[in-house]
Order: sequence, then C-alpha cells, then structure tokens
Amino acid sequence: MTNLTVSEKKTPVILSAKDKIAILRANRYAMMILPFIVLALTVVIFGLLTSGRFFRTSVLLGILSQTVIIGTCATGVAFIYSNGNLDISIGAVMGFSATIGVLAYNSTGSPILLVAVSIATATALMLFNCTLGIVFRIPTITVAIIVTQIYSSITTLMIGGAGSIYIDSDTGSMLQTGPFRYTAFFAYFLLCIVIYHFTSVGRTLRFIGGNENCAVQAGMSRNRETYISFLVAGIGVGLAAVFNVINVNAVTLDTGGSMGMNVMLATVLGGMSIFGGSKSNCYAGFVGALTVSALNRGLLMVGVPTAYIQSIRGVVFLILVFLNFERQRLLPGRDQF
Amino acid sequence: MPQKGGLLFEVKDLCKNFGVTIALSHVNFTLHSGEIRGLIGENGSGKSTVSSIIAGMQPANSGEMMYKGAIWNPASAIEAQKAGIGMIVQESGTIAGISVAENIFLGDMSRFRKGLAVDKKAIFTAAKEALENIGVTDINPALPAGHYDIQQRKLIEVAKIIYMEPELLIVDETTTALSKHGREIVYKIMHQMAEAGKTVMIISHDLNEVMEHCSVLTVLRDGVIIDNISRENFDADDIKKKMVGREMKGSYYRDDYDGYDENDVVLKADCITTMNQLLCLNLELHKGEILGIGGLSNCGMHPLGRALYGLEDIVDGQVILQHSGLVIKNAETAFKNGMGYVSRDRDNESLELNASISENIASTGFKKNRVGPFISFKKEKSYVDRQIQALSIKCLKAYQPVSTLSGGNKQKVVFGKWCAVDSDILILDCPTRGVDIGVKADMYQLICNMKKSGKSIVMISEELPELMGMCDRMLIMRNGQISGEFFRKDGYNDHVLIEYMI
Repeated sequence: MTNLTVSEKKTPVILSAKDKIAILRANRYAMMILPFIVLALTVVIFGLLTSGRFFRTSVLLGILSQTVIIGTCATGVAFIYSNGNLDISIGAVMGFSATIGVLAYNSTGSPILLVAVSIATATALMLFNCTLGIVFRIPTITVAIIVTQIYSSITTLMIGGAGSIYIDSDTGSMLQTGPFRYTAFFAYFLLCIVIYHFTSVGRTLRFIGGNENCAVQAGMSRNRETYISFLVAGIGVGLAAVFNVINVNAVTLDTGGSMGMNVMLATVLGGMSIFGGSKSNCYAGFVGALTVSALNRGLLMVGVPTAYIQSIRGVVFLILVFLNFERQRLLPGRDQF
Repeated sequence: MPQKGGLLFEVKDLCKNFGVTIALSHVNFTLHSGEIRGLIGENGSGKSTVSSIIAGMQPANSGEMMYKGAIWNPASAIEAQKAGIGMIVQESGTIAGISVAENIFLGDMSRFRKGLAVDKKAIFTAAKEALENIGVTDINPALPAGHYDIQQRKLIEVAKIIYMEPELLIVDETTTALSKHGREIVYKIMHQMAEAGKTVMIISHDLNEVMEHCSVLTVLRDGVIIDNISRENFDADDIKKKMVGREMKGSYYRDDYDGYDENDVVLKADCITTMNQLLCLNLELHKGEILGIGGLSNCGMHPLGRALYGLEDIVDGQVILQHSGLVIKNAETAFKNGMGYVSRDRDNESLELNASISENIASTGFKKNRVGPFISFKKEKSYVDRQIQALSIKCLKAYQPVSTLSGGNKQKVVFGKWCAVDSDILILDCPTRGVDIGVKADMYQLICNMKKSGKSIVMISEELPELMGMCDRMLIMRNGQISGEFFRKDGYNDHVLIEYMI
C-alpha cells in the first residue's frame, strides 16, 4: 500500500539569499549597532539640512545638555521597563520634585539641599507609585495615569500664577558649568550599569519581565524587584530634575512636561523594548537620548515649529513602538553583560 | 473523496534550515488515503518541522510537495486548512482571553456576522456542535478558553480542526497533553478518519501508542529519513535503535530496590486544604526517597505539586520543611530552602522562551554565582556549560533563544536549571512529558543519581509505568485525597493501582 523510500544523507543545503538576510537581521551584533547607525544618520541628515550649522560647538553642547537630562531619566526608567512595568508619571514627578527642590534652595540658599531634596522627593513619589501598584494590585501604568494628574495639580499650586520660580543665576551657572553636572551624571550612569549588569538585579528584572511565573518559581520576588526598580528610577528622575533646573535657572509649569515621551522614545531608539523582558539593558536610554536630543534640536534648527515637533516625535514613537512588537525577537540578545 | 489506498500526499527532496542548523535534509515520503502514519524520532529530529511545512505554517528551503496530484505550496496554515490539511500543534494553540467558541472559529468568524455584530447564539451553538462532534460535552463554548486546563484546551483545538473535516490530519505530540479519556477521543477520531479513507499523520514519543495505532512508521533522525517501517515489521527495539542511533533494549527504568531513610522526613504536608481540589491531605517525603503521585489527571495531583512548592493558596493546614520547621508559604521560601519545582506547563511556567538557554539555566544560580554582591561571569558560564554538556542539550551555543529548541531539549534546559542549583527536594510534575525515549532514559538516570546522592523527589505523573518503574513509594490520589499507598519493595500491580484511581 505504501511507497516506501529511504532517503540518503546528502551534502548540506546551500543558504538562499533570503536566508542570509534573515541571519543578518537576527544577528545580535548587527542589531546592537543599529541604534548607533540611526544616531549617525540623524546627525548627518541635520548637518546637511543646516549646511553644517548643526556641528557648531554651542549646538552640540546644547544637545549634550539635553542628553544628560533625558539620558539620566531613561537610564533609571530602564529598570522599570525591564520587568514589564510602565510608568508615564515621570514628567510630573520631575516637575514636582524640581519645585520642592527649588523651594528648599530658595529658603536655605543651600545647593546641596536643592540636589538632596529633589532626589529625595522624586524617590519618595516613585516609591509611592510602586506601593499603590503593589498594595492594590493594579498595573503601574494605571497608577501613573492617576498620580500624574495629582502631582501636576500640586506642582501648579506650588508654582503659582507666575508660572515659574527662579533660583539665583550664580548658583545655577556654577552647578551647570562646573564639574557637578557631568560628574553626577556619570556617577549615576555607572552605578546603574553596575547594579543592572554586574549584580543579579538586572538579570532578575529581565526574567520577571519575560515570564513572571517562571521567575517566581525560581525564587524571584516581583514585589521586591519592582521596589528596587522604582527606587533606582526615582533617584534618576530627581537628578534629572536638578539638571533641568540648573539648565534654565528655574522651575516652570513646563518642567518635565514632555519627559515621559522623550524617555520612551529614547529607550526604543536605543534599541530596547519598552515592554521589557530578556533583551533589556540599562544603557539603551543613553544612546537613544543622544538621538532624541539631536532630533529635537535639528528639527528646531530646520525651522519646524515647536508645536509640530511634539507631533513628529509622537509619530516616530508610534512607528517605533509598532516595530517593537515585530522587532522583539530581533533585538540584540542579552549575553553575559 | 480519494480512493482508499490512493496516493494523497508526496514529499520530494524537502530541505529546511534555520540559519546554519539543518532541520530537514532531502526528505522523501508519501502518504496514502486510509493510512495512519506515525512520524517518530528523537527531539530535534525534524518531525515538527516537516509537518508544519506540510500544514503551511512555514515554507521549505527547497524540494517539492504534491497534494492530490497537484503541486502543494501553501502560503499559510489557513490556506492549508481550507484545502483539507489540518494540524493539531504540539504547543498551546488556543488563546486564553477569548471564548472557546471564538477559538474554534478563529479566522472564520465572518460566517457568524449579523450586521456589525457577531451572532453569539449561532457561534455558541456551532461550537457546541463541534465539541460534541468529538464526544466532548463538559466544555462550555461561551466561557473563555483560559478557564480550562491544558488538556481541555487541547480538546478545543481538536474540535476546531475536526470541524473543518480535513482530508489529512496531522497530530503533533498532542496526546502527551491529554488524559486517558482525551487520548481515547483522539485515537477514535484517527481510526474513524482512516476508515473513511482519509489520512492521519501522528507525531509521538510514545512508542506503544504509535505501534498500536499506526499502519506505517517513518523514522527521522537529525533531519534525515532513516526508515519507513510497515506494521508487520514493527519491532520495538529495532525502532528505538533507528530513532536514537544506538541500542536501546529493554527497560530504561531503575532496576534497584534501594530504600530510603524512613526515619528522616524532609518535607511534610500536614492536612493541607486548598481552594483548588485538595482536601486535608497528609504526606511525608523522606530523605533519599522518590515518592510517586499518581491518579487521573483531575484527581488533584498537579495542585498538590504546586501546593508543596508554595504556589497554591493553602486555606488550612501547612507544608513544613521538617528539618528547619519552616512553613512553606510561597515559592521564594521554598526555593531559598533548597526546593525545586518542574512545572507540567513547560512553556508558560518553566521557561522564559525569549531568553537564551544560558539565561534560563543561570536563573537559579544568581546566589551561587556571586562573588560578594557581584555576579561572577566565569562562574555563571561554567554553571551553564556544565549542564549543557551533562544533559547533551542540542544547541549551537548557550546564547541561543530557548524557544528555538525542540520540546525535549527545552525540557533538558528545565532539568538543567534545577540540577545546577543542586536542590535537596525536587517536585517534578510530568517531567518526561513530550520527550523522546533517549532523553527519558537520561532523565530517569539523573533522577536515580539524585536519589543516590540523598536528594528527595516527588514525581507526579499520569503515566503509571513511569511511576511504577521509578518510585520507592507511590500515593494514588482520587478527588483531592490520597486513596492508596503502595511500596516498591512489595511490588506494584497496575490493576490494583488503577482500581484506587477510579
């Protein structure tokens, strides 16, 4: 009844061109350098569009300055994204903590208090968000939507009708131009790298983000790790609030306004998924922050009105998030680092 | 309908590779109307690959397929289904969040449209009919599929495929997820289809199963067809040898009667009651003991495994680590105190599929692989490599995503992560589900070695021969309670055991 044929082992198949492209796309090194290619392209395109004005020292320093603010936030928030949580309240937290920090400085005149109070406030607010999520068992994104309104309202009340509270420009420029800013940024960035990639924290966060059931069975605690992630992010948001204040010598109603979007955009442009999981890291945000800052500045320089820039960023973000679902498995794999 | 015995499907010189991994190399075989073809081979031999190509789930790199005399090159599984080729897949093929009815008619909902909405009554009625068609009456089509366990969800998939009245039915390692009743349903369908002149191709690691139900067996090894064996030539030892490429004679269970320390209780369940099936259950596990838990699939043995590891809410009673007096209230405590758990639901609970083999194995060793507060990359690498080598996990590299591995190799990774951490107490829920005989033999050997080194093991299984072959003591469960206790030293009688199950 059956036609029985026995095949012989022959020479291995030759890879088709389609296969070769698929292999290249799945190559983690190829995907690792992609964010840098996007950054280089952004710089080159704006350099050409502005006839080289984009490469002026003042422009580059401006980009670096914005990168430090977005990059600090994004580096910390990567801890939150890694275990599958999202928090869009960071802009409101940043505005709130900057206001408290400025008020503390203005009443004492101590730059140390400006920094310490901003960081402490942001950390406390982020831990509060985390606690609400854990106690009431609701997703952190839902908590963030609610608290954003509350924090923004309180910030508006504190800042009052003037729309801004200034700090004296001497202190502002001392912190802005002195060693504080870059030292604080690099210290925080290095601390995050060490915690995330050289201790079990990053591995645990990624594992929980990838498969919580599996992580729990391997003895990992989602609650504890969520607290750690919000703690680290809180410090970053507080530090970014200080950077923002010293950048303009004031806290305004706009402080932190577009930070939530910028951080998400920086994360995906840096080659990480905002949905967390095994392919997360904590340095993607910094690489992405460079691209976002270059994009913001470049668009302004080519004459795109500020109102449109927000929309353009929104569209870029939507495209990237859409691609993220598709790219999830193509993102660079997490090796030992 | 094609004539019984006539050629239905032909695979010619089929090749498939995933990157540099060759999954199929010049595969040729034919399928005829009215036959039940068994496709067998070790994990990673290419069985699922060839069947998924036939069913339109992925294309081949080269080669040709002929279906009903015409060239067959389906663009998708839906096209294949419409043309009469249905496949019940190995992994979960239902979506938990939507109703059973919507799962059954997924991709074909337009026929139930009533204006802009879906005619719920019509779709539920049709789904009920589809389920009854395969003899399933205890699944409510209106409830979300996630409401049902793996076994029932598998039956929903069976109903879905059969409702489409396929000419060629492919059953990919489905029976491992089913209880005896579920298996009987599938076997009945297979024979009814063959009787009606249709064709069935079944992929299974259960040699007895394929030898009982198939008319021809095709053996694959490393992507190459080794042999096609007609029913009259079936010989278990010969088939095993062809599958694994080495002699695999006789039994692979343990043959010793070594006991355990009856005075040294390591884990104790003290009258535990859960919201899910268990009712005042008492159990003691001893040092160096392999304790088997058997019964029908819904007898409560799976929730028992979860409860012992702190994964179920215990409403009364407690699980105690006898040496320390510690009460196990959650998995974190269990893990920290030397316990390990292999879940029955491998892909959803035991593995992070998007992560690499390395990350999965290393996930149990964060504490072990530390130097101060820092992870030692060197220690971690050797922690992982040791398991990959010891368990012969077939992979290109340790950083390969675990999702790219075959079922058996995935299970090896699960075993690997628990072997690596060297747990003192291991709870194994259906540890050899979906793995081939070669891997099974290795795992049984591993379990024996663990016992010899003083580890204690709870082995939950729906396969009586496995429990009889491996366990020092066996507890049979019925309706959430223990109905009988049996000892290896006294010898097991399967008829008696079954009596206690029902």
